[in-house]
Amino acid sequence: MLKDLIEKHLLEAQKPSRYIGGEVGSVIKDKSKVDVRFAFCFPDTYDIGMSHLGMKILYSLTNERENYWCERCFAPGEDFEAVMRENNIPLYALESLDPIKDFDFIGFTMQYELSYTNVLNMLDLAGIPIFAADRTQKLTQIVVAGGPCVCNPEPLADFFDIFILGEGEEVNLELMDLYAEMRKQGASRDEFLRSAAHIEGVYVPKFYHFMYKEDGTIDRLEVSDGAPEVVHKRIITDFDKVFYPDNFVVPFTEIVQDRASVEVLRGCIRGCRFCQAGFIYRPFREKHTDTICKEVKCLCENTGYDEVSLASLSTSDHSEIDPMLTALLDYTVSERINLSLPSLRVDNFSESLLEKIKKVRKSGLTFAAEGGTQRLRDVINKNVSEEEIMNTCRIAFEGGYSSVKLYFMMGLPTETDEDIKGIAELANRIIDLYYSIENRPKGRGVQISISCATFVPKPFTPFQFEPQDTREMIEHKQKLLLDTVKTKKIKVSYHNPEVSMLEVILAKGDRRLCKAVYTAWQKGCKFDSWDEYFNFGKWTEAFAECGIDTSFYANRRFEYDEIMPWDHLDYYVSKEFLIRENKTAHKSITTPNCRLRCSGCGVNKKVGRECF
Amino acid sequence: MIRVRATFEKCGRAKYISHLDLNRCMLRTFRRSGLPIWYTEGFNPHPYYSFALALSLGFESSCEILDFNLNEDMPNEEIKDRLNAVMPEGMKIIKVAEQKQKITAITEAEYSFSLSAADTDRLLGDIQTLLSLPEILIEKKTKKGVKTVDIKPSVKVMSCEKTDHSVDMVIRLPAGTQTNFNPTLFIDALRNMGGETFEAEKIRRTGIFCENNEIFS
Repeated sequence: MLKDLIEKHLLEAQKPSRYIGGEVGSVIKDKSKVDVRFAFCFPDTYDIGMSHLGMKILYSLTNERENYWCERCFAPGEDFEAVMRENNIPLYALESLDPIKDFDFIGFTMQYELSYTNVLNMLDLAGIPIFAADRTQKLTQIVVAGGPCVCNPEPLADFFDIFILGEGEEVNLELMDLYAEMRKQGASRDEFLRSAAHIEGVYVPKFYHFMYKEDGTIDRLEVSDGAPEVVHKRIITDFDKVFYPDNFVVPFTEIVQDRASVEVLRGCIRGCRFCQAGFIYRPFREKHTDTICKEVKCLCENTGYDEVSLASLSTSDHSEIDPMLTALLDYTVSERINLSLPSLRVDNFSESLLEKIKKVRKSGLTFAAEGGTQRLRDVINKNVSEEEIMNTCRIAFEGGYSSVKLYFMMGLPTETDEDIKGIAELANRIIDLYYSIENRPKGRGVQISISCATFVPKPFTPFQFEPQDTREMIEHKQKLLLDTVKTKKIKVSYHNPEVSMLEVILAKGDRRLCKAVYTAWQKGCKFDSWDEYFNFGKWTEAFAECGIDTSFYANRRFEYDEIMPWDHLDYYVSKEFLIRENKTAHKSITTPNCRLRCSGCGVNKKVGRECF
Repeated sequence: MIRVRATFEKCGRAKYISHLDLNRCMLRTFRRSGLPIWYTEGFNPHPYYSFALALSLGFESSCEILDFNLNEDMPNEEIKDRLNAVMPEGMKIIKVAEQKQKITAITEAEYSFSLSAADTDRLLGDIQTLLSLPEILIEKKTKKGVKTVDIKPSVKVMSCEKTDHSVDMVIRLPAGTQTNFNPTLFIDALRNMGGETFEAEKIRRTGIFCENNEIFS
């Protein structure tokens, strides 16, 4: 039995409880009574994957169905991977400890581009052919993917049988139902894939064939096997009634987000032009306060967590934020539960809200200002004025805070040296503000942390057409910022620009990149999102060997009339809208948030009503 | 405030829960159980509970001790049932009772394990040789560095039986607040003799004792 082999070597691994399952809340079924087995794979380690809310939702949802069994699977750490390879332990799922190669579905959630090589490594470790074309003709071992990255899945197209676009709560079960039915009829893999392609939200890449022009851009797309010309993403219409788990798998070892979590809203009204999540998760939908309170209580009681967080892209945009927090705090304070509130925005941060938050939050304040000058913030549609930032900092300082963390991006469209200097100047003015406040925290200096990421243009955003800054430009701007900061009260930290350079290639790439992803993995690339494993040199070699000019994807402006590798995928945000927003950006004109005025992105056509 | 002592077993997959993780795990178990756990009255109130002895990662046990306090009295059976309803797989409360002795009264712990080998006669001979040596020096890692200790006077062999594929042993070693010897010290000493090769399996703590061989309770 595989279990015995695993146990024989388990103590050779660091934190072995990550590899053996048995956690409270994990679902064990009798496999002889199960029709469809689904391995939900997160292409990173247990500590990271177990923090992912989408997995918790789809895990519980699938397991609600008596005859379907969803199990979890993660990338082993390097130490245990070596042990597994040495002792021929194939990648297995944590509930049954059975090899995932025997499963009906092997489903990956693609949350970030830098996890792509981990998918290949996990398939290899599982003993599943890495290329979809090499898999059996039998109806088993269907490798699928969902998550935000599949809005442009082309750099992964050769490895997957199916991509699932949009929200999985309905389509996953429809896909499994179809599978169960067709297997009963003795259908082949191809017959299943042809039928599956007609489920809304299901994209079968092998039925789509790209033809390229001489200049490398896409000439046209040919669709075969009767698959639809355009694949639409799935949307849950009644978000308040959507399935939500009443229990989580509670890990023994500490994970990144080790708490209960309740999703309060989906989508975002803001329309920040760089933010992919702000567009691909539209339309904005929220849960009622009662639903949220019920879910918080239920999860805390069943898991035993003493901390709960509210998950969303922008929690303070909930229309009932004040009554919701009041109701939640009533419960959490009496039960000695910590309520954590990530994703709060600067501009609607009221004094009364801060009072409530102060009761539960002792950590620092973090603001995503993103741009150093008002002009640049207008370009990216980050509708935050300096006055609002100052106002919020004032409230925070008067309330006893003495440190502020500011997030910025570097390399944004139209950015000049003035905008970079503006980052330091903004921080300086916050310092001046601090010392001008009479009732500031006594005896403490102010600390401003500036964290700078490199801008990555992403599909389905108004900036999808934009080039990324070259390495020289980014290095120049980083040096400029360091030279402009003249006080120790300001700390500047950067993300490695090479990471962003790889991200943009994989985010905007087409199907020709698959072989480079494969080559990079063969060269040993994995855990690319981990500083200690990231190896840009190997990636550069892989691109060169595959004859790929990375600047074609990273540093070239994609024309408005060019066929994008993702144009056949419909996230209900129209290309006309994205072009319009791109032009507006270049004129430094902002677009009001969806609640103030509909900007006509196109998603309400699908919903069949106004969003607000 | 009611002081309670629970005895629990930690077997199967639960043996991979580290001592640090066990702390967090028990906190959540208490919360799930809904028992009226007593909280400390400090700046940062937290439920008070403690384990008598740490158990090494990978060891099973049938006799772990957990002390905690309740705000109100209730039948021991009910405490046991409510905890067992929400305990992780492999962990089970065997007994709930009052705290008779102090944790500091603990002097020894008993372990059983199985040494599997091809030639069990030779292995048995190795064990007898080891036990007849005037001293068994081992290197023990402490917070202050590595030091050499003679475990010979401390090892009490309770049983040593040969089967077809293994030699099964039960030994007692010092435990408690003063000295703690891990059975792997003995096992490593045997391995270091360079005799018959073997694999140590099924290491399990089977008892916790005070002076005069009295079972700790």
